[in-house]
Amino acid sequence: MTETLAAALLGFFALGYFMLGGADIGVGMMLPFLGRDGDRRRLVVAAIVPFFLANEVWLVATAGLLIGAFPALEAQLFPGLFPLIVALVTGWIVRDMGLWSRERAGARVWPAICDAAVTLGSWTVAGAWAWILAGLLTGVTDDVAGGPAVALLAAVVVALFALHGLSFAGLRLPGRTGGRSRFAVTAAALAGVVLAAGARLDFAASAADDATLRLLVPAVAAMLPLLLIGQVLTWRLFRHRVAGRVSA
Amino acid sequence: MDVLELARLQFALTAGAHFLFVALTLGLATVIAVLQTRATVGRSAIHARMTRFWGRLYVINYAMGIVTGLVMEFQLGLSWSGLTHFAGNVVGASLAMETLVAFFVESTFLGLWVFGWDKLNRWAHLAAIWVVTLTAYASAYWILVANGFMQNPVGAAPGGDGLRLTDAAAVLTNPSTLHAFWHVLTGALVTAGFFLAGVSAWHLLRRTPEAEFFGRSLRIGVLIAGPALFGSAVTGGLQLQLIQDIQPHKWAEFSEGSGAARVGALLMLVTYAAMFFFSLLNALLALSRRVIVTAHLWHVALIAAIPLPYVAMISGWVFREVGRQPWVVDGLLTTQDAVSDLSPSAIRFSFVTFVTAFAVLIAVNTWLLARQARRGPDPVAPGPEPVTQGVLV
Repeated sequence: MTETLAAALLGFFALGYFMLGGADIGVGMMLPFLGRDGDRRRLVVAAIVPFFLANEVWLVATAGLLIGAFPALEAQLFPGLFPLIVALVTGWIVRDMGLWSRERAGARVWPAICDAAVTLGSWTVAGAWAWILAGLLTGVTDDVAGGPAVALLAAVVVALFALHGLSFAGLRLPGRTGGRSRFAVTAAALAGVVLAAGARLDFAASAADDATLRLLVPAVAAMLPLLLIGQVLTWRLFRHRVAGRVSA
Repeated sequence: MDVLELARLQFALTAGAHFLFVALTLGLATVIAVLQTRATVGRSAIHARMTRFWGRLYVINYAMGIVTGLVMEFQLGLSWSGLTHFAGNVVGASLAMETLVAFFVESTFLGLWVFGWDKLNRWAHLAAIWVVTLTAYASAYWILVANGFMQNPVGAAPGGDGLRLTDAAAVLTNPSTLHAFWHVLTGALVTAGFFLAGVSAWHLLRRTPEAEFFGRSLRIGVLIAGPALFGSAVTGGLQLQLIQDIQPHKWAEFSEGSGAARVGALLMLVTYAAMFFFSLLNALLALSRRVIVTAHLWHVALIAAIPLPYVAMISGWVFREVGRQPWVVDGLLTTQDAVSDLSPSAIRFSFVTFVTAFAVLIAVNTWLLARQARRGPDPVAPGPEPVTQGVLV
């Protein structure tokens, strides 16, 4: 029973990451397309920058819960997917550094370096996720999967990240159309892929001891309201489109 | 080097790099929360400006702390699956608590604080920095629950193919955890105090126009570092007593060994002594407003002292962690048995990737911090703020 609850929580955090974090990753991938010049790219980065912290914590929580509640599954997945996870984390830190540092120095060269870091990092993150998810979908949970089916599925997932980013850009950037329903559609598509991949994992056989879960699950459940308050505040506070004027 | 040595070195470099940022972030968050409280409650303009200036430096540093922390979290799973497999019920659970109960909230509210500067009302904005500070403490606590258990495994018993939690209260009140927690907090305040004093001294030495601003900041830094050093001596002494009881092999390494653990301990003690005597001098000199602004030789010394707390912190960690060897969970699981079954090429690939990334990160962080610190606070009548980004970014 507690392990079912723990699996549900894990799914909740994973879906949160892909539906919310997927949006800012997608915008990062599309940065050169959405922003043709430096000023416009500044606006695109400004559209995602208040969100990326609040979005990536969902993944940190997913990984934490995986280690805490399903240690055996973690011990199987991580070493098997080693190179993909190294690529994922590297892409992640490169893109975060670009997002954090863009405004901190210089007018042209440094922002251009940071934009390149955001774009490359975002593609790396999306690509690593696509490969991992495609492998899981084909039933490979302890190794890096290969073959045409995996490549095709991975390409679809990468495209979904990009489309989801465009939906988010439609909500946040001036001069782009799109509404909440389009965002909901691309979010649901990503969620579907994640759920299908998660269904391939054996949670029951890899759960932590019941004594641990009986402490962990209620503690997390008790914290959920505060977690969600922070999320709701963030999404409310920054719900408008970013300002169109660009100051020097 | 073989897989085990590379995995250990990689983790040591990751944890060390992470801690360079954490030490300052944890202390600076506290300082900023107090400054902003004074700015908000007393409507004090100079404290509001201090909050912004030191807040910018804090945020630059925090960003580095996050990304190195991410690598650490994932590395536990990548390189040390034997540890999560054997001790997941305790170590994994406390790491899960850290991510969910502490980091998730900390990071979300940090985003609200950074980007909501002019959007949230001032009390909500003040509340945000306090949530960030308190959850940062909680984060340190939960990490040290995992680390304290690895030093002194209480509250669990072997069962099945690993450890089972038998007494949660014993795990949560492990003396190895609690002493280390207070030691890290006081050490972080020392780091922040030396940082404030050193950066302020640079401006006073250069006679930049903000003598009042940096004079007060310098005094705050000196006044924080003194008591914090005292606290870190007490909590450090308690830990030395404790390891004689719970880790006699570590004590032996310290008192008669010749390896990295002893070198780390001695370096920590020497650095501590230097900071202690320097702080006595600082407390005297900071009594006079005139001396604070004019004593240029002292300013040079304060700038040169910025790295000292880092040296003490890192060497203290080397003592704590290397002194535990060959165990990863003291007396129960060896480091050799904890390392993942990885090919030499896989670990070499990740080692080169992460070490390169960290070298770049530390260089960028130092450059950005120095650049921002040099620039000084915003003018009293601020010009139009860039509209597209948070005030601090």
